[in-house]
Amino acid sequence: MIVEAICALAAVYSVIRVLLEKSTFKKLAYLNVLNFAVAGAIVLLLPHPITIGAAVAYFVGATLESNAIASTLAVGGEE
Amino acid sequence: MLEQLPYIAAATVICLVLFVVIDILWKLPKKGGVSGAEAIANDIEATGGNKHGGYMIGNIITSPDASAGTLLAACGFFIYGVIGAVVAAVLVFIGARICADKGYAGLTGALAATAVIWACTTFLGFAPETFIAGIVLAILIVEVLSLKFSSKIIGKLWGKRT
Repeated sequence: MIVEAICALAAVYSVIRVLLEKSTFKKLAYLNVLNFAVAGAIVLLLPHPITIGAAVAYFVGATLESNAIASTLAVGGEE
Repeated sequence: MLEQLPYIAAATVICLVLFVVIDILWKLPKKGGVSGAEAIANDIEATGGNKHGGYMIGNIITSPDASAGTLLAACGFFIYGVIGAVVAAVLVFIGARICADKGYAGLTGALAATAVIWACTTFLGFAPETFIAGIVLAILIVEVLSLKFSSKIIGKLWGKRT
């Protein structure tokens, strides 16, 4: 119970920081923490062998999105 | 319920030390792996942070590194023991390739975390889920509390290594 609560609180806190931050690059750092918390919560709430694949797929997909956003902005996209 | 708190605090410290040491050993603070990681480092440096710490945070954000390996190994261990953690390690390796990461930080982090979690749960009485909370809190400390401060500390650690 306490472990799930920690993941949920970490997710909510990082969302608040994302909303308050102006720099897109720093938003990505806070979003990364949100992804950690959500991947952890998926596994904690659905303990089933297939969940390992789901959590990895979610996390890698979210990381790839951050990678794509950061790289697009880095090569001249508008922030 | 609250009796798990000391274990979670200990797991946070263990996870923090584990992923920072492995990332620094794999030279993540040396340079950005992709252009996005370099842009994140430049942004952190522009607001008073350290460039090498910024590179490491940029690499953490843009590809699964040792911290992601630790999280997913902890998740795998929680569900299916050592086998689940090793499956997670293999998936992290594939995930790093998908994110154009040529390194082995994620795989090493996942395998090292598997060994550490196995030792802590077998001999020290930790519950596997305490490591999931531990790594979430560890990454929260590094990336959310203060990017400027954490990048400076990582930069100092990187300076000692080189």
